[in-house]
Amino acid sequence: MWKYEKTLQYPVNIKQPNAALAKVIITQLGGPDGELGAAMRYLSQRYSMPCREVQGMLTDIGTEELAHIEMVSAILYQLTRDLSIEEIKESGFDAYFVDHTTGIYPQAASGTPFSAATIQSTGDPLADLHEDLAAEQKARLTYDNILRLVDDPDVRDSIKFLREREIVHFQRFGESLRQVQEKLDSKNFYAFNPAFDKPKTKR
Amino acid sequence: MAGEKQKALKKLQAARFALHEANLYLDSHPTCAEGLRYFREKQAQCEKVTAAFEEKYGPLTAAASKAEESFEWAMGAFPWERGES
Repeated sequence: MWKYEKTLQYPVNIKQPNAALAKVIITQLGGPDGELGAAMRYLSQRYSMPCREVQGMLTDIGTEELAHIEMVSAILYQLTRDLSIEEIKESGFDAYFVDHTTGIYPQAASGTPFSAATIQSTGDPLADLHEDLAAEQKARLTYDNILRLVDDPDVRDSIKFLREREIVHFQRFGESLRQVQEKLDSKNFYAFNPAFDKPKTKR
Repeated sequence: MAGEKQKALKKLQAARFALHEANLYLDSHPTCAEGLRYFREKQAQCEKVTAAFEEKYGPLTAAASKAEESFEWAMGAFPWERGES
C-alpha cells in the first residue's frame, strides 16, 4: 500500500519559464533511463529477491523514484508556465505542444513515448541487480548531460539533487548485490539464479 | 499465531479503507459536515488500530521503526508473501 505526501522530496522553484529546457529534461520523466522506468523496474523486481534486506531496498528506492517522477514533473510544469505562442514556436516546443499542450506526458526527449521495453525484471536477482547498477549510472550520466545543457541556477539546483541520488542508489545497490552474492551456495560459482534454481523440496 | 496476525491485519485494512473512502468523498465534497465528522471518526480509529498493530507486529513504514537493536523494517516479512496480507 502507498501513501501520498504533499511535499516534494527536494524543492523545485523555477522563476524563468523555458520550454527549450523542458524539451530535454522530459527525457528524465519518460526516457530510456528516466525516473518512471526506474520506479517500475525496482518495484517489479523486488518480488523475486531472495532476502528481505534487498526486498526492502528495492521497495524503498522504488518509492523514492516515484517522488523523483514528481520532482521532474514539477520542473517541467514550472518551465512551461505562461509561454506565448511565439515562445512555443521559437523554442521548438511546438511538436510537443500540438499533442499535449502543456500537460505532463512521459516521453523521451526524442518524442518516443515511455516504454516498458526500456526496463527488465528477469526473476534472477543477480541479473536484476546488475541492471539496477547500470540503470543508476545511465540516469546519472543523463543528468550530467542535462547539466551541460542548462545554465539556469534554479533548474540546476533541483537537477543536481536528482543526480546525487543516482550515485547514492548505485552505492546501495552495490551493497545489495554483495548481500545476495554472500547468500549464494558456495557451490554456486556460476551464479545461476538463486531465486529459481533452488534444490527441489518435496511437494 | 498466523491467524491472529491476519485478524489484526483485516481490522487494520478495514479501518484504513474506510478512511481512504472518506478521503475520496471529501476530495469532491470538502465542506460536507457529515463527511468531515465521519473522516475524523475513522482517522481516530485508524491511529488506534495502527499503533496497536505496530506494537505487536512491527512497523508498517520504515519511518515507524523503533530502530533500537536492529532495523525491524528490513527484517520483517513483506506483504506479498502468503499469509502476510
